[in-house]
Amino acid sequence: MIYAGIDIGSSTAKAALIKKNRLLGTHVIPTGYNPLNAGITVFEAVLEKVGVSKIDITAIVSTGYGRASVNFADTAMTEIICHGTGAHFMNPDIRGIIDVGGQDSKAILLDKNGQVENFAMNDKCAAGTGRFIEVMANALEVELDQMGDFSLKADKPSKISSICTVFAESEVISMIAGLQKRENIIAGIHESAAARVAILAFKINIKEPVMMTGGVAKNKGMITALEKRLGFELIVGDFAQENGAIGAAVLASRL
Amino acid sequence: MKEIKIFHDATKDVSAFADKIKAKQKKIVGTLCSYAPEELIYAAGFHPMRLFSSKSDIILAEQHLQTYCCSLVRGVLEDSLSGRLDFLDGTVFPHTCDSIQRLSDIWRMKGRYEFFADVVLPVKLNTQSAKIYMVDVLTKFKKDLEIAAGREITDTDLRESIKKFNLIRKNLSKIYALQSQKPGIIKGADLYTIVKGSMVMDRDEVADLLPAIAANIEKMDTPEQNGKRIVVSGSICDSPDIYTAIEAAGGVIVGDDLCTGQRWFEGQILEDEEPLTAIATRYMDRIICPAKHSSATARGENMISLAKKNKADGVVFMLLKFCDPHAFDYPYLKEFLEKENIKTLLIEMDDQQQNLGQLSTRFETFIHYI
Amino acid sequence: MPDKLSDKRKIKCAKKMRDIMTTYYLDAMTAEQNNKQVAWITSGGPVEPLVAMDIIPVYPENHGAMIGASKMGEDLCTKAEDMGYSSDLCSYARTDISCSVVKGGPIGGLPKPDMLICCNNICGTVLKWYEVQARFYKVPLFILDTPICHTRYSPEIAKYVRAQIDEYIVFLEKITKRNFDYEKMAQVGKLAYKSQMLWQKVLNTTARNPSPMSAFDAFFFLALIVTLRGTQIAVDFYKDLLEEMEQRIKDGISMVPNEKYRLLWDNLPIWYRLKWLSNKFSDHNACLVADTYTSAWCSAIKYTDENNFLDSIAEAYTRIYLNIGVDQMADQVLEMIKFYDINGLVMHSNRSCKPYSFGQMDIMKIVREKTNIPVLMIEADMVDPRNFSQSQVETRIDAFMEIIKQRNS
Ligand code: SF4
Ligand code: SF4
Ligand code: SF4
Repeated sequence: MIYAGIDIGSSTAKAALIKKNRLLGTHVIPTGYNPLNAGITVFEAVLEKVGVSKIDITAIVSTGYGRASVNFADTAMTEIICHGTGAHFMNPDIRGIIDVGGQDSKAILLDKNGQVENFAMNDKCAAGTGRFIEVMANALEVELDQMGDFSLKADKPSKISSICTVFAESEVISMIAGLQKRENIIAGIHESAAARVAILAFKINIKEPVMMTGGVAKNKGMITALEKRLGFELIVGDFAQENGAIGAAVLASRL
Repeated sequence: MKEIKIFHDATKDVSAFADKIKAKQKKIVGTLCSYAPEELIYAAGFHPMRLFSSKSDIILAEQHLQTYCCSLVRGVLEDSLSGRLDFLDGTVFPHTCDSIQRLSDIWRMKGRYEFFADVVLPVKLNTQSAKIYMVDVLTKFKKDLEIAAGREITDTDLRESIKKFNLIRKNLSKIYALQSQKPGIIKGADLYTIVKGSMVMDRDEVADLLPAIAANIEKMDTPEQNGKRIVVSGSICDSPDIYTAIEAAGGVIVGDDLCTGQRWFEGQILEDEEPLTAIATRYMDRIICPAKHSSATARGENMISLAKKNKADGVVFMLLKFCDPHAFDYPYLKEFLEKENIKTLLIEMDDQQQNLGQLSTRFETFIHYI
Repeated sequence: MPDKLSDKRKIKCAKKMRDIMTTYYLDAMTAEQNNKQVAWITSGGPVEPLVAMDIIPVYPENHGAMIGASKMGEDLCTKAEDMGYSSDLCSYARTDISCSVVKGGPIGGLPKPDMLICCNNICGTVLKWYEVQARFYKVPLFILDTPICHTRYSPEIAKYVRAQIDEYIVFLEKITKRNFDYEKMAQVGKLAYKSQMLWQKVLNTTARNPSPMSAFDAFFFLALIVTLRGTQIAVDFYKDLLEEMEQRIKDGISMVPNEKYRLLWDNLPIWYRLKWLSNKFSDHNACLVADTYTSAWCSAIKYTDENNFLDSIAEAYTRIYLNIGVDQMADQVLEMIKFYDINGLVMHSNRSCKPYSFGQMDIMKIVREKTNIPVLMIEADMVDPRNFSQSQVETRIDAFMEIIKQRNS
């Protein structure tokens, strides 16, 4: 019996398939305008990749911001439960999760059985989310996936004091005008975002080991900044970005 | 001036300064508002120290106070929780705004320091029953201090303390008056530092230094300059850079309505009356803060007379973001002033972040058109 | 959205309540024609002396709630901001201030006050807000200053507030040019006491499992205890309401069809999203059975002496829920969790209300330590919808309910 999880985030849509306790495969595409279309496309793509067809799928759980739009799913669950379940599935020792997504960042605390004990999410503003880094990348005219590498080359990270994305952007622009090194500005951006995310982790008294999930987990600059803030190392798995979808698939198997 | 340098050194590194006080075997009691009856704390043999935020990143305080709390309250709590205020032996919270009220609860529940007192002063300052209550609260506070100090606070102690604070206040008023008469005679940043220093430094030292500074300034000639005369209004203005920026933009500060300024030090305590009643009278009658009430237009009238007395060309409102009492008064103060043809500028600040570049532009524009 | 409430579940007293409130507002609007005086008073203020003096009390905060519920908050808040009031100020105050000028809102503004009565037992905001109105309407302002009882109700405070109750009466005599009627006061005091007791009993019925009504209903039925406390109308109404609740219990009628989870709400309601929130929770088979807000109007009743009303209200009005320390507030929350058999606590972190919201995180921590129930905090504002993000709140509620379900499975 094969189960599917579909995670429609604000910037990417992810799908995962599992069979028994084994991950069969995953797929990621940009979300675009229409979350339902994204859901259909990513689902079909993962089916093709793994080489199975729709009728082989016993149950589907959707998650993410667009979870309600995926009308072919059996049920929808929040990212919090899905990330918790996904992380526990990939590594049963995990007690804490930090997920930095496009719109939302969250810190999740798991109990020994992988059940969510507590969670915290960023408040309304975009500070400390993937969106924040994206806006800054635009302001600096740097490709988003280059941000991490630039950041690691910094010698003296700049200090960005504004929490608000709009103000921080103007701060960054005046730093560019002030001829500060791009590497340092970028490291400063990551430190600022990391500070916001770390606060969420402190709020729930996060316990180690902590897994980092979400698209931003690919950004080494952000990981480094976060580890510095938190004072411990983060575990980044191969499927950080697809973790929510994996969790959704696991939950589908329990329906 | 070497006296001013002492103030600069003390305010630059408050905790190093605190260590010096501790070396003298003095206990330090932090206060959070200009209504804290410092005279009593001093009379008990403690060192009263006004607390300001060190403006560090808010991390630990995030677990207690939401982002829509003013940066002063969040900043001071952050300092406490991160151990930057470990030199404190106690703290006193006079009741003021809603944010301080809850900070007091959180602070007390954390119980980091030996001594803790809420001095819940009346909010109404214009009735006889409020005055009686004020005296009652001060009497109770005096008892609490006596227990903490392990000794009685005599009338002589109180009278000496009153004299000391009167001397400090009188000299600060004098320095301000000189600045208003001969604008530019003292740099804004120095003015700020002297007031702030007077709130945190050893008061005996302050009382020795201030008369010398006042005398020195008095002897100086009126500086060549024709800056626009600016009065600053707000809760606190804890940044010398802002003073400097106003001057760089062509203004000169001739007076203020700040708790890091005249609101804190104006008004003498009568020396020949029963001390507690005299102290109470001063706190009832001093220039009012918006968290208190004496009449619905008291602050407006005071603003106008302050601006007129100092021949202000403009008033700059420096409001801390999320500070309710001041934000509520701003529209009417502005209206009152504009009726008198006095122009105003509103700056919303956050202790943690000041975009000086943007500020300068706004000051320049404002000063240019007044 | 279709109303999910089947007829069986509808509370019959709701119509009666609407009628009473309509009459009340009509009376207030026509006060001048009828030679009656109007006093604006804060929600936590002592209204009984006004009732005894036949002055019509009007509640800007209740008006603010109406503005919020009729989704007119954003517009009026913006207008206040245009007048120079910061968007960070309490949205009740902002809407009321701008409404006075533009005469907007669902009932075209409140009747002009002859006097303002401000009791700062709920916050410092009301002091500033009433000062604004005192300047605008140019009418006398009486402030009842009730010092916060961080840890205790001290003899100094008792003396001070008691003295002000007398000043209050002198103030009223001066404005009405009539002598205070102490006999009528005694009657009004008894009625006020009675209606508060009845209100407490109504709220207590939700301790039954399943609950005959929810906090959303309490938010609605609260209006009378605020506005008409001290009148026979309120007493009669709450008697009826209590009867109806008891009947519902007998008949096994619950507000949420399949009530499985019982939740406690903290802070003011989010007026412009009541229906949405109520449906959201009920879809999860959860009922908000109680809240810390509506019970504030009877929480201090233990200090009231119905036979010695004037003397006792000094204490009763000073020691209300918001005018005490955060640790005492936490104790009350813990008590409610026990009494109502609560599975989860939902805290509304309300940008408008600092005294209610600061300290919530500490209460949250205490609740977590002592009870092991999940706690959710959602960021919003009671009247200004610009501070509310539906999709964010939705995700949080869904996740919170998933946790509760996991724990109770
Ligand atoms: S502005 Fe008011 S509350 Fe703030 S320090 Fe001054 S007196 Fe105290
Ligand atoms: S700045 Fe305003 S809000 Fe902050 S403590 Fe002072 S009076 Fe209160
Ligand atoms: S909502 Fe809060 S701040 Fe606003 S009036 Fe009510 S108690 Fe005061």
